[in-house]
Amino acid sequence: MIEKKLCLVISFNKTIDAMAFEEYCLKNSVNGRLIPLPKEISAGCGLAWKCDVDNQKEIEKALSNLSIKCDKMTKLII
Amino acid sequence: MVKVNGMGKTCPIPLIETKKAIKALISPDTVEVMVDNNMAVKNITRFATDNGYRVSTDKISDKEFKLTIEVKEIKSEEEKKLAESCATCGATDNTGNIVIAIGSEKMGCGDEKLGKNLMKAFIYSVSQGEVRPKTMLFYNGGAHLTCEGSLSLEDLNNLTELGVKIKTCGTCLDFYGLKDKLKVGEVTNMYDIVTTMEEASLVIRP
Repeated sequence: MIEKKLCLVISFNKTIDAMAFEEYCLKNSVNGRLIPLPKEISAGCGLAWKCDVDNQKEIEKALSNLSIKCDKMTKLII
Repeated sequence: MVKVNGMGKTCPIPLIETKKAIKALISPDTVEVMVDNNMAVKNITRFATDNGYRVSTDKISDKEFKLTIEVKEIKSEEEKKLAESCATCGATDNTGNIVIAIGSEKMGCGDEKLGKNLMKAFIYSVSQGEVRPKTMLFYNGGAHLTCEGSLSLEDLNNLTELGVKIKTCGTCLDFYGLKDKLKVGEVTNMYDIVTTMEEASLVIRP
């Protein structure tokens, strides 16, 4: 089994926001990766950003630089 | 000793001729195969080891390789069939042999960027799932996903560790100039792709 660990999951209001966020993070070496929105957060379809729990500040800064409002940030074992 | 000359023959002909030569043996013997490229060496070596044959390779030059395959046990046709089928009902046991065939970097038609993200999400979901495929095949544009720069490498490496076979079409790697950039799994050929699909209980094409 793949080892599960506590992660910070950032969900978005729009798929296009998640994709723009990924593009920014890859260019700026922001920790994390894009994943399908975990079922624990919503039954809906979507993309989310998964990163280490101690990267919240870095994520908030990235969201601010992009002027994107996330839906929510959730700490989750995945 | 049985000799197979695969020199100057394109993939997968040397492998097919090697298989035929081994199948035709009526007693334990050694099969010597001459090929002129490294891809053929890899394919034949994998076939031999997968079937429990001892194989050694001598590199004579950059364009000449000699493979020596030791076939110590000859299986009868009946034994081969039995090994692949259920002992009680005789049905071929391919239950749970799920194959995922990925022919593009994108999932679905439409926006390219969205399609690439959907494919990444698909591979991630497969790596997290309870039911795993036995094999994942990557061909044409899908070959990019197993190579350097792919954002799916972490997931594919996880799947490899869990026992999933990751196979990428060698012709496609060559076409896209990715021969030296493969980062996960092994190189395969059309013969193996067809066999893998034929033996599957389910082929999923995202």
